[in-house]
Amino acid sequence: MDLVLVNLIDGLVTGLLLFMLSAGLTLIFSMMGVLNFAHASFYMLGAYFAYQISIYLGFWMGLLIAPPLVGLLGAGVERYGLRRVHQYGHVPELIFTFGLALLIEEVVQFIWGRNAMPYMEPEILQFTAFSIAGNSIPAYKIFMIFTSVAIFIALLFVLTRTRVGMIIQAALSYPRTVEALGHNVPLVFMGVFGVGTALAGVAGVIAGPVLTTFPGMAVVLGSIVFVTIVIGGLGSLWGALVASLLIGWLTTFAKAYNIRMEDILTGVGFTKPEVIWDSMWQDLWSLTSPQIADILPYLLMVLILVFRPYGLFGKRDV
Amino acid sequence: MTDITQKSTATPAMTMGNTLPWILAAAFLFIAPIIFSSNSAITIMNQMGITMVFALAYNMLLGQGGMLSFGHAVYMGVGGFACVHVMNMTDLFEKMPLPVLPIVGGLVGMLFAIAIGSFSTRKAGTVFAMISLGVGELVAACSVIIVVFFGGEEGVSGDRTYGMPFFGIEFLRQIEVYYLTSFWLLVSALLMFLFSRTPVGRMANAVRDNPERAEFLGYSARWVRFYSFVASGFFCGIAGGLFAINFEILTEENLNLATSGGILLMTFLGGAGFFFGPVLGVVTFVLLQTVLGLQTELWALYVGALFLATVMFFPGGLSGLIMMHVTPMRLGKLNRLYVPYLKVFVPAIIGTLSLCGFIEILFHARHAALGEDEMTIFWTTFSSHAILPWIITIVVAVGGIWLAKQSAPELNEAWHDANTPDGGAR
Amino acid sequence: MSTTSALKLQDLKKNFGKAEIIRGVSLDIGESERHAIIGPNGAGKSTLFNLITGRFPPTSGKVFLHGHDLAGKAPFEINRMGLSRSFQITNIFPKMTVFENVRCALLWAEGYRYSFWNIVNRASHLADATDEILAQINLTERRELPAGVLSYAEQRALEIGITIAGGADVIMLDEPTAGMSHSETDYIVDLIRKVTVGKTLIMVEHDMGVVFGLADRISVLVYGEIIATGKPEEVRANAKVQEAYLGAALEAEH
Repeated sequence: MDLVLVNLIDGLVTGLLLFMLSAGLTLIFSMMGVLNFAHASFYMLGAYFAYQISIYLGFWMGLLIAPPLVGLLGAGVERYGLRRVHQYGHVPELIFTFGLALLIEEVVQFIWGRNAMPYMEPEILQFTAFSIAGNSIPAYKIFMIFTSVAIFIALLFVLTRTRVGMIIQAALSYPRTVEALGHNVPLVFMGVFGVGTALAGVAGVIAGPVLTTFPGMAVVLGSIVFVTIVIGGLGSLWGALVASLLIGWLTTFAKAYNIRMEDILTGVGFTKPEVIWDSMWQDLWSLTSPQIADILPYLLMVLILVFRPYGLFGKRDV
Repeated sequence: MTDITQKSTATPAMTMGNTLPWILAAAFLFIAPIIFSSNSAITIMNQMGITMVFALAYNMLLGQGGMLSFGHAVYMGVGGFACVHVMNMTDLFEKMPLPVLPIVGGLVGMLFAIAIGSFSTRKAGTVFAMISLGVGELVAACSVIIVVFFGGEEGVSGDRTYGMPFFGIEFLRQIEVYYLTSFWLLVSALLMFLFSRTPVGRMANAVRDNPERAEFLGYSARWVRFYSFVASGFFCGIAGGLFAINFEILTEENLNLATSGGILLMTFLGGAGFFFGPVLGVVTFVLLQTVLGLQTELWALYVGALFLATVMFFPGGLSGLIMMHVTPMRLGKLNRLYVPYLKVFVPAIIGTLSLCGFIEILFHARHAALGEDEMTIFWTTFSSHAILPWIITIVVAVGGIWLAKQSAPELNEAWHDANTPDGGAR
Repeated sequence: MSTTSALKLQDLKKNFGKAEIIRGVSLDIGESERHAIIGPNGAGKSTLFNLITGRFPPTSGKVFLHGHDLAGKAPFEINRMGLSRSFQITNIFPKMTVFENVRCALLWAEGYRYSFWNIVNRASHLADATDEILAQINLTERRELPAGVLSYAEQRALEIGITIAGGADVIMLDEPTAGMSHSETDYIVDLIRKVTVGKTLIMVEHDMGVVFGLADRISVLVYGEIIATGKPEEVRANAKVQEAYLGAALEAEH
């Protein structure tokens, strides 16, 4: 039971992190119809910027400065890149963000090199918050949870209580009408893109110390974020939340509990062949849950797409 | 009048004008290894040929069908893995001439495409792109789990020479593989070209441009996409088979996102809008990779920037750029473009090269080993820590790009002029 | 149920959320009849069209084409049953040539289906059939131009060409003359008369004058309901129509 609690916390951390990325991605997608392939690259930039700032000004200033910086960069990309490509249609837009992801990775390698950066959590958070059944929970994890929840609440507040939020919400459901109502849609687009990428930046800042800051960190998380919003239903913020948590817990639990296919198969009544290394099914027999933990999200996505093409919460035809 | 306006993709039946490019291509493929006879050249040409089949197959989706796939390496990879397994089935392989092997790859690629396409082609656009990405990542990740088929981290390898000799050829030498690859390149390209001229191929274009209208003409957009997808899977599998023959090993690298992204990059660079675009893209990319890769560590950065610039400014890619000049050529006004082109592109190229020089200096100053200050670019050796080269490169870069910008309106005007027939605008 | 009607609507209704756009439309259109549905803007004419052609599912009610229920059929299936439509907003393949636009519309009807073993360029009868249609819509000279560069009236003509090309016997045209000048309108109306000989034509218009000489019968749709159906003279004389139609038209002008 205690172990379950530990895993629940771990899964929550992963899930909330994913959500911070998928929330921004969903916002951008709902507003502009663009799936930002480079979203995870902005997350990586967040981590690198924060690391660079933390060298001079410490972790907290990094947390404060890096996300707006990333957001600014994101807004610039929208203004000078994406807006230009917009006229050619959605597929070139997607290709543009794909190229951007490639370029950002190269630029990061150009500036910081190929090795991981020694980006660490701040010293005041380097202690054990509490322990459950011998498993210590570091304070930084608790900090991560609180930060993500705080940001989520702030986002919710902005979306539901402010004028800008109303416009965005309206644009989620009726993009064309909002445009017709005479709102400065290009500006809103730029703003949403900036905020979305800034959110990714925050995720990068707080994830950098735990998941290591290296040039491949965007690729590692990138596809999972897409999978998340496809599972949640493209354009649904709640779907993104549910799917993020689902994936967070699913992968954490799959890794923590070593469920072996062998046990399942024998439990169902199959007998294990004597000479397993010669069998066609050797891979099936030797399958364990930690081994497939990382592909579970993809598997889930394929299943969802086969049985519920719009995702868990998706309604809008895209 | 009709002469000027004949820029459509529609072609009359197969005539001389249509078969000539194919004959020329075949002739070129035949004599290429005689001109470029070095071993490394043949290696590169083999790689190019295989990638061309793949890129053309990819463009059946991107260019002809308007479907953006982020996981297309999988179809080539699966076909390739299947072929290596066939190579390892000694009894079967002994009775099979090697040149037939790619068909096995094609069929396996096609079967896989049927399975995935059955649900992924329901939608085009973003949804299709996401599904292709998810499936691609899934299969790539499976490569370390399904060891029987994908061979885990070390992959699966075979030996092509165990096949039944084909008219006495055992394919021990690279040059023999070259002709095998070229044969399949030509056959596949021709078949893919003909596919684009069939009812499904034509409707693929229609569905790409306007799926709704196509539906009201009696065609289900989904099934049209499905058939294109399956055909593309077949030719990807052929490319996979050729890869298996040439390299005799397949690994996770043949399935992953980097390979899928690479083919997108090449296809788009060459231009998805024209049939021969991907071929051009492959040649350009491989040349950039080999030539630039020898010169600088940063080649991927430049290629990435080039790609982004292509998407932003020349969405038609290289082939689009070339085909833009057909109208001025028909009007006999191409010569009016020469001077403006020189005025814009000479400073622009010098500026860009200078910018690259600056980037190289910056990179060297930051990342070179301590005490190693000397560097050489553009046949000049100097210290990357000195201030003068920095200033020179910046000034030349800014100056060149400024000059190019100054001449841009003139080029714009000349372009407009060159595209307007004399004696009245249309 | 009468089997002689080409198209039969039975108490068709459509709600978007709470808004009732089509409030129970029943209509019986005979074979080879030229039927016009007119009504002021916002009466639900295009929605009615989209219900019939399977673009939207109806909230309730039924549509029969030659006596066959169309419920749950996708647009392409309805098309294959012999119903073809045009769109209010020009809906062609702008990047393909005029010739190819029409040829694409012929493929299914000519039995090519999803074949990938025929080369369409070699099929001379296909080219002939296409040229015949092009001649009918007077676009022979524009044959090799990309459809996107045609003038508006030419694009509308092409749209009609695409619609009739497949040989469907029920042709539905959604405001074929929308946004045209007088002379262009006359031209298109003549064209419609010419190409729909022997076919059932259902067309939507908001201008009664356009359909007057063309339609055998006219239905007037106002606020999602048909308030009158009959011969043009009858409809024009109908007091209810005069009131509703002119009233709404006047309102729209303010």
